Amino acid sequence: MLLELKNLYKWVNVGGNRNFLLKDVSLNVNEGEFISIMGPSGSGKSTLLNVIGMLDQFDEGEYNFLHESVHKLKEKQRAGLYKQYIGFVFQAYHLIDELTVYENIETPLLYQDVKASERKALVADILDRFNIVGKKDLFPTQLSGGQQQLVGIARALIAKPKLILADEPTGNLNSKQGEEIMELFKQLNNEGVTIIQVTHSEKNAAYASKIIHLLDGRIEKEEKLS
Amino acid sequence: MIRNYFSIAFRSIRKNKAFTAINVLGLSIGISAALVICLLVQYDFNFDNFHKDGDRIYRAVTVSTFADESYKNPGITSPMADALQKEGTGIEIVAPLRTEWQIKVSIPTTSSNKPVVFKKQANVVYADERYFKIIEYKWLAGNPAASLKDPYKVVLTSSIAAAYFPKAPASDLVGREIYFNDTIRSVVSGIVADIDKNTDFNFQVFISRATLETTSLKPRDWQQWNNTNSSSQLWMKLAPATTPKKVEAQMLALFEKNRHKEVGETGKTEHLLQPLSDMHFNADYGNYHGHMGHKPTLYGLLAVAAFLLLLGCINFINLTTAQASQRAKEIGIRKTMGSSKGQLIFQFMSETFLITFIATVLSVIMAPLILKIFGDFIPSGLHFNLFQQPLIIVFLLLLLVIVTLIAGFYPAIILSGYKPVTVLKNQVIASGGRSRNANLRRSLTVAQFVIAQVFVIATMMVGKQINYTLNKDLGFKKDAIITLSTNFFDKNVDNKNVFLQKLKAIPEISMISLSSNAPASGGSWSSTMKYKDGKKEIETDVQIKLGDTNYLRLYDMKLLAGTYLEPSDTVRQIIINQTYSKVLGFQNPQDAIGKIIEWDDKQVPIVAVAADFHQQSLRTPIKPLIISSWASSSRTFNIALQPQNAEGTVWSTAIAKVEKAWKEIYPEDDFEYSFLSEDIAKYYNSEKNVVRLLSWATGLAIFISCLGLLGLVIFITVQRTKEIGVRKVIGASVSQIVSLLSKDFLKLVLIAFVIAVPIAWWGAHKWLDNFAYKTELSWWIFLIGGVVMALLALITISIQTIRAALANPVDSLRTE
Ligand SMILES: Nc1ncnc2c1ncn2[C@@H]1O[C@H](COP(=O)(O)OP(=O)(O)O)[C@@H](O)[C@H]1O
Ligand SMILES: [Mg+2]
Repeated sequence: MLLELKNLYKWVNVGGNRNFLLKDVSLNVNEGEFISIMGPSGSGKSTLLNVIGMLDQFDEGEYNFLHESVHKLKEKQRAGLYKQYIGFVFQAYHLIDELTVYENIETPLLYQDVKASERKALVADILDRFNIVGKKDLFPTQLSGGQQQLVGIARALIAKPKLILADEPTGNLNSKQGEEIMELFKQLNNEGVTIIQVTHSEKNAAYASKIIHLLDGRIEKEEKLS
Repeated sequence: MIRNYFSIAFRSIRKNKAFTAINVLGLSIGISAALVICLLVQYDFNFDNFHKDGDRIYRAVTVSTFADESYKNPGITSPMADALQKEGTGIEIVAPLRTEWQIKVSIPTTSSNKPVVFKKQANVVYADERYFKIIEYKWLAGNPAASLKDPYKVVLTSSIAAAYFPKAPASDLVGREIYFNDTIRSVVSGIVADIDKNTDFNFQVFISRATLETTSLKPRDWQQWNNTNSSSQLWMKLAPATTPKKVEAQMLALFEKNRHKEVGETGKTEHLLQPLSDMHFNADYGNYHGHMGHKPTLYGLLAVAAFLLLLGCINFINLTTAQASQRAKEIGIRKTMGSSKGQLIFQFMSETFLITFIATVLSVIMAPLILKIFGDFIPSGLHFNLFQQPLIIVFLLLLLVIVTLIAGFYPAIILSGYKPVTVLKNQVIASGGRSRNANLRRSLTVAQFVIAQVFVIATMMVGKQINYTLNKDLGFKKDAIITLSTNFFDKNVDNKNVFLQKLKAIPEISMISLSSNAPASGGSWSSTMKYKDGKKEIETDVQIKLGDTNYLRLYDMKLLAGTYLEPSDTVRQIIINQTYSKVLGFQNPQDAIGKIIEWDDKQVPIVAVAADFHQQSLRTPIKPLIISSWASSSRTFNIALQPQNAEGTVWSTAIAKVEKAWKEIYPEDDFEYSFLSEDIAKYYNSEKNVVRLLSWATGLAIFISCLGLLGLVIFITVQRTKEIGVRKVIGASVSQIVSLLSKDFLKLVLIAFVIAVPIAWWGAHKWLDNFAYKTELSWWIFLIGGVVMALLALITISIQTIRAALANPVDSLRTE
């Protein structure tokens, strides 16, 4: 098992009242799964994904990642997990504006102390795979939304993560671009990468093996696809 | 990785040109000031710190106390040296020195029968082998044991040898003749290399001590235990186990055993050992007329450097934390890619390092400029050359690291502390950490302006005191008076009379007086005088001035009782000042007239009491003083000029005529005169330097602080662009918007003023304590200081707020 959430709660206090963002969420994710999270806007999808990605804290319950309690992880260990295990893809791309496409993709490798020659080869490889070799010296602001998201995904993949967390990766893209990215996820999943994505699109959600429906911070239903 | 950091750093530097310029400029001013000041300070602290066993080298000095006043003398009674040599214990080397004040040197030449003459040579000293055992020189010719053994032998340093005997190699010089004051024929017996490190031992001509001892040149005080002459100095190196206290006790015992005691004496004489390391800084004893260090000034300078650096660092902290939210997204992303907090701190520190490095490079370029600005402060021996002084590079690297840490650490902690989730959810603006940073920025800005404000007030205060001293009524007239002195060695008394007669014939001169010196003069001469009032004897150390009948009239000094002196060639009558009259216990000046003062076994009647006047700078109090007539010992001509005419030619004509007369009577001597008012102004040179330095420091402090303020205002106006646009659309006027934006900043400047006032008051109060006569700490100084600061801040703020307020609101609102 890659990760498990047990009876997780997250809330904010608004004028003395607890305002629940996540309510009694339990979820098991095995290695190699492809999960889609769906639900109306404000239902807590991003919150759940951020908790899974350990970017956000929870208030009650248990969360084990690779059989280790996340509560007990130190910041260093968490940074280590990000380096080796987890790749993030954001709806708003979140590229570093001051770095070129090439440098953005290269950065995760820098944190992993990958040798320069190897870095060069890996980045060249992925640029090639995503068909963006010609854009490598441009800055993010010089790219279209779709191109930026490709760079964002390329950056998430460069370090060969075991888990990809994607928050509405196709939200700002047209359907053709979205489809390309879903194909890519599918392919990665076939190679053994675990993927958890948040999406609004039924069509994109269907690429997964399991769909989790959220409503008001609560898992409304789990739907297995085959 | 580092390359990735640096390319980010370079790109964000380029993106924020204004902030970068402010940061770099502020830091580089601080760094170059620190560089120059540290050069200055280390120059002074490196004096004479290289001598072998330097911690065991001492100078014996004398402190005499009369009537609660101490007189410090770098010399010691002459026979002490021989007595210590014979009877002292625990002393490795006893080295007496006798300094010579200005001597005439003539070098006979083979080519013509007229010798080459060097007038007024300083740095001449009588010494023997023992001196060279304490202070080591490299001998180029001769040797310490033999060269100074016999009378009429001279050792020269190579620099002065090159001046006296151009182009001759050292080995050829031994045996060459030198005449001192035309009469003392001596022979060069050795050449030593000049000391090339910082030293107060600036002697260039060493005449063998035997020349004094065994010839008619022997000074009068040579065997006198009761006489202390500052030119009779005594250096010694103690044995390792000896403490200075032990030697001081021995000197006291020797002094008590040998001196001639008097009945009823009230004075006290002590002999102390002054450590070698103290000489460069202790003005009480002085060095050998060379540049001296003043520790309070040096520490003050260090403080100035530290403050300027701090101001630059504060700008950096303020502007970086203000902009932090712009970097927040990058931080969040990097964290999700696995960057640790430490790596982020390192990244931002390397950015700070880069900015500081640019500032350092700039400051190296600026340093020579600043050295020029501080020219008056900078001793001639101090040089700045990056490539010949590796220590400077080490210092700069050190400074680079320290400044990087101070300026960069806090922003790095703040930036690296951002939580990725808040960043990625765009919650940075709303988070609580920001307002805490805003408070820190406010506090730092207040601190900056406190520093600048204290500088402003201090500068004004020092300026006021100098103004006061220069304009204070000294008790005598000082304008339109020139003084000049005849050669000390001129034994022909008639010359002075002839010169006097010639001066009297010049119509542009209104009055002439012959005296020992002007009423206020740098040097002083004093002696112990006694007065018996029937019951007890009052012994006082009294200042002595010699002046003829005209002296008091020329200087417009008031007599409180009695009459002017009668002309006299020897001391027959004296005038005392009011201070002395009070010391002697006369309620009414009139009571002093006719009383007898004993001075060197002479009984002299008091003929008048003069109103007090200042005898030295206003730092020293007015002391008991007598004026007597003694024509043969008076060498200074005091010349009062007629009032200047409209064309301004009277004085120059008078001086030209005086010079002509001088040349007729003293063809050998240079004509050197000075205006008394200028001489007096020179007493305050060090204060004037302090004012100049403070003005510069103040200017720079204000500049850096206002730069920082400007940066913050730019930041705020950019942040509030939309709000400004909305307000304008609603109908706010430009002035309303300007005051809205400026109010917060002005408040900070006012808070700074409130904090700065007590600090400045305390500092100015302490500084004024150095002066016996001082101006008061007026409230309006503080007020004006505050207003000046507030105005400067307001102008700075307005540069940006007015621009922001004038911007067309449509532009800012359309961008949304
Ligand atoms: N830190 C927070 N404080 C208060 N409310 C929050 C916070 N984070 C999210 N929310 C609220 O929680 C709800 C769930 O948000 P989110 O997970 O972003 O929803 P989704 O991604 O499903 O649209 C929303 O109503 C949002 O306003
Ligand atoms: Mg969302």
